[in-house]
Formats: sequence, C-alpha cells, structure tokens
Amino acid sequence: MVNWARRKSLWVLHYNSGGCNGCDIEILDLLTPRYDVERLGILKEASPRHADVLLCTGPVTRQSRDRMRRIYAQIPAPKWVVVIGSCGSSGGVFQGAPSVMGGVDQLLPVDMYVPGCPARPEAIIDAMAQLMEAIA
Amino acid sequence: MTHSLETILEALQATFPALSLDTRAMLTDETVISVPGDVLTEVVGELIESFDFYHLTTITGLDTGEGLVLLYHFWNIHGLTLYVALPYTEARVPTLTELIPGVAMYEREIHEMLGVDFTGLETSAPFLLPDDWDDTLPLRKQAVESEDEV
Amino acid sequence: MKSDKMIIPIGPQHPLLKEPIAFTLTVEGERVMEAGMRMGYVHRGIERLAQERSYVQTIHLVERVCGICSHVHATTYCQGVEALLGLEIPPRAQYLRALLCELERIHSHLLWLGVLGKNLGLDTIFMYAWRDREIVLDIMEDLSGGRVSHAINVIGGVRSDVDEAHCDEILRQLDLLTEPLARLVGLVEHERTLKARTQNVGHLSLEQIRRYCVVGPVARASGLDVDLRRDMPKAPYTDLSFKVITHTAGDVWARTLVRMQEAVESVRLCREILAQLPDGPISVKAKRRVPPGEVVSRAEAPRGELIYYIRSDGSEKPARLKIRTPTLTTLITLPEQLREVNMADVPAVLSGVDLCIACADR
Repeated sequence: MVNWARRKSLWVLHYNSGGCNGCDIEILDLLTPRYDVERLGILKEASPRHADVLLCTGPVTRQSRDRMRRIYAQIPAPKWVVVIGSCGSSGGVFQGAPSVMGGVDQLLPVDMYVPGCPARPEAIIDAMAQLMEAIA
Repeated sequence: MTHSLETILEALQATFPALSLDTRAMLTDETVISVPGDVLTEVVGELIESFDFYHLTTITGLDTGEGLVLLYHFWNIHGLTLYVALPYTEARVPTLTELIPGVAMYEREIHEMLGVDFTGLETSAPFLLPDDWDDTLPLRKQAVESEDEV
Repeated sequence: MKSDKMIIPIGPQHPLLKEPIAFTLTVEGERVMEAGMRMGYVHRGIERLAQERSYVQTIHLVERVCGICSHVHATTYCQGVEALLGLEIPPRAQYLRALLCELERIHSHLLWLGVLGKNLGLDTIFMYAWRDREIVLDIMEDLSGGRVSHAINVIGGVRSDVDEAHCDEILRQLDLLTEPLARLVGLVEHERTLKARTQNVGHLSLEQIRRYCVVGPVARASGLDVDLRRDMPKAPYTDLSFKVITHTAGDVWARTLVRMQEAVESVRLCREILAQLPDGPISVKAKRRVPPGEVVSRAEAPRGELIYYIRSDGSEKPARLKIRTPTLTTLITLPEQLREVNMADVPAVLSGVDLCIACADR
C-alpha cells in the first residue's frame, strides 16, 4: 500500500554536480506543459528532505563531491538515484579531466542511468516510469 | 569618439619613447603590441584616459615552452592585444584592478592556472580549482605533459 | 549590543540555482551587507582538455561548455580555426550558422524569462515561456537533429542543409511564435507584479558597466550601445538589418525588456536570413593539421561578447584554447548589485544577470 503511494508520487530533487546545463534544461522541460510530469505525480522539490529521488546531471567535479554526499545523506530513505545524461553515467566528454571525478557512480549508488547528450525528455520520462514499475 | 589604431599607436610610441612598442597583426582584426611588464599599468592608463579603450575583454595566459605570456585583449571596434612576456620564475606584473575593476576574475584565474603573481591582487582563496587541489599549475606545460605520461 | 548580522548561504544546491555556485550573503536584519562567491563547482578544465584533443574533437568539447549557448561556442571556435587555416567558408554556411545563432538567442531569452518567473514565484510565466520555447526547440531539432545539442558546425562550414520545403516549414513555425512572443513582451511591459518585483532592483549605472567591462543585455539595459553583430560585423550580419536594443533604467526590469525585445528582433532576423539564403555548398574541406598561428575570435552570444583565443603550433591539437564567456563579466558585478538589497529581492537580482555558471567555470 505504501509502495503504491510512493510510486504514484515520486518527488525529485535535481542536483547538477558539474554539467553543462543541457540535461538540466531538459529536466526542467519535464515540468512544462508539453511534457508535464506532474500528471505522473512527479514534483520537483527544493529541499533534499522532501525528495524521494535524486536526479543527478553532469560529471562529478571534485569540488562538488562533498556536497553531493551530504545531499544524498539528507534524503530520507527509501531513496533512489537516477543519473541523467552521459556525463553523469561515465564522465562523458570530460573523462580524464583532473578536476573531474567521473560519473556519479564513483560516489553514490545509482539505480538508473539515462544516457544521452543531453538525454531527451521522453527518455527521462521513460526512466521515471520504469523506476515506478520497479518500486511496485 | 573612436580613434584610428594608427593614431593610438603613434601616440603611445610618443608617450613611451624609451621603449620599442613592437606591433604586429594577429588574426582576426587584432593588433598586438609588445609591452614590458613594468610599464603595463601606464600603457593601460593611457589607453583608457586618452583613447577610451576601456573594454578589456579578457586576459589570456599561456606557457610557450620558453616562458609565460600574458595577452591583454582590449576592444573598441578593433581589437588591441597587449603582449607581456614573463619568465617562469618571478612571473610578476602589477594588478590592473585599480584601473579596471572587471579584471579581477581574469587575473585570479591566471594566478591559479599559471602561477603568475599580480601584485596587489587578493588571491588567498581558490577561484575555480577545487578545495583539495594540490599545488600543480594546470596550464603550465609540465603539468599537461606529465598527464600524458601517466 | 548583540550584532544582527547573519550569514545566509545560497547554493551550491538551492532552488534558485539551476547550477552549483555558492553565495554567502552577510545579512543585517533584512538587508544584504556583503556577498561572497565561491565558483568552481562546474570547473571541468575544458581549456586544458582541449590541448589533449584534436581540433575536430574540440568542437564537441566546446559545445559542451554550456548547453544553452552551445552553438555559438562551436561557431566562434570554428571561425577561429578557419581563420588559422585561411579558409573562406561558403556564404550558405555562414547564413545557416547565423540562423541557428539567432534561434539560440530566442530560446535562451525565453528560457531565462521562464526561470526569472519561477524564481520570483510567478510560475505561470515559467509555463508560458517554456511552452512557447518548445516551438524554437522544434525548429532547431528539424535543422540539426538535436533540441539542445546541435553539432551542426564542422571546420569549414555546416554539416546539414535545408531545402525549400524545409525553409517554408521554419517560416510557418516562426509565424506560430509571433503571437505568443508578443504576448510575453506585453506582459513584461505592463504586468504590475513583475514590474514591482523587478524595477529599481539590481541597478547598475553605465559607469559601473564600463569599469567592470560588462557585456550583453545587462550592459545594454544600462545604456551601453554595443552589440558585436553590428559593431564587429561578419557575414551574414553585414547584409542584414536589425535594431540593437538598449534601455537606460539599468535594473532587472530593463534587462527583461531588452532580452524580450531582442528575441522579437531575432525572429525578424531569422525570417530575413531565410529570405536571403544564398545557394551553394555548405562546407569546404579543411586540413586536420593547422598551421602555426594565433587567432582571436569574438561573437555576440545570447549573454554578450564571447571570445576565443586559439594558438596553434602546427600539430593536430590546439596548443592553447582560451575561452572567456560573457557570464564572467556579469558575475563580478553581483557583490555590488547585492549590497543594500532586501533579502526578498535577492532572487530578482540573481536571476536578472542570467547566470550560466557552466559557462563561467568551464
């Protein structure tokens, strides 16, 4: 019962740990009339304490590392991490840069990867839908 | 009022007769003047006061393999770049923040990436590099080459 | 007496910020006394990475400096490399590049308007602006295959062409955009809440603009009449007519007006570009090895003057790539803008400069 309620209203927190902004604007696009993920119960939250899912974009820069850990710790369990875009999945074009750690899985346990540069809104919605199935 | 570049170059040569301000062209629509570091502030002051050349687009710092070079890219319809050559050790020029407050970020970045000292600039805090960065200067040639070897 | 001073951090994770940057506001009562900034959360070392990539690979690297203005980055870079190679790119390619530059300007300004609305709590503006922005993204996707990342530039021109039917389709879609855009401009000009929140907030005088070397809509909103498309004209802008929008109020409202009116001008420019599109090839062959030399390449990005300095040593990789993005010039004015501002006005000030931290940090 709780699982049903949970998957029908996944609230997301978006954090950009060093990306170019391409995936971020596609995530913001989800909230807008054409894609409108609120009909799936997804709301973008401001505080980690209110979120269920951490949507990560961008490669993890060394400067972002500690903050990301802290944000992840602040999200109450159960929580999921969905990585949006190639940079978050593997470092993308920035692989090998000394100030970049790499993909998000270098730091946090990732539940879902959405590749793309940037990932299309349809792909992100598909990922959220699959996450909802997995939670049920 | 825009002065032609020739007027500016003549006037600068007249104001600083002891120095040879070598000029050359750079692609695209850019004139380069070599300026010794010790008269940089005066030359920039002159450009701003007399010719309204106040817009400094940015400062490029680079490592040629033989030394460091600072390129001050000014723009007023035409591009004018001041070329300042510096040695690897004791690479130092005065800061231009009194004349052009907007220059602070460009100088801080060059200080961080190439190790050039800008006398009078506040550089205690890191700018772009992460807090846990060691002391390597990322844009010096040795730094890039050692990356390739690893 | 106990001090009223409090330190309020904004970022790196904050609902106001789409990208990580840390502001530290020292607040006394409701007024901001001082503002500090820590950048570097998005520093990927692109200038250094470019030294390890070939000239062609670097196109894709610089496109990802920023997702919002990716095309103008790639264009400025390619123009620099083409100058080093001594290449004249075909006129049709110049027009197609400019078309995408103007479309990018429209999409960037609409995006910004929506974000401003959202940050002020006026969510409806966000929804309307981003819904109308979808039209522009559709046009860009039809042109290049990507909504946000276009990859249309090659060294020597562009890689995809348009035929007559496609041009007609783009014109039809631009027609769809005209009325919504006019409505948004009207909203900025007349809507009382938006005006009340943005007028007399974040003021920058023309003198401050000049001292900080600020560029773009922020500079033009304070009266600086500079736009590189007109003042440093390269083809095809030499053959196109457009107004440079300036304002004198110098506050966040003036910046909003300037950006929206620029978007309207850009729609007009797109139509003119399509009407004058010359025939011919869309690219010329370029050598992989670039002869030694240096080039400074400038362009007018949506946020202002963008500069690329490229130094070549005769190999297949750039010896030095230096990028200065327009956001750096506006970021440096933020501590001054935030001084003596009420906490409630901080979102308007931070949004007014159209921050693109990915551009600033590189």
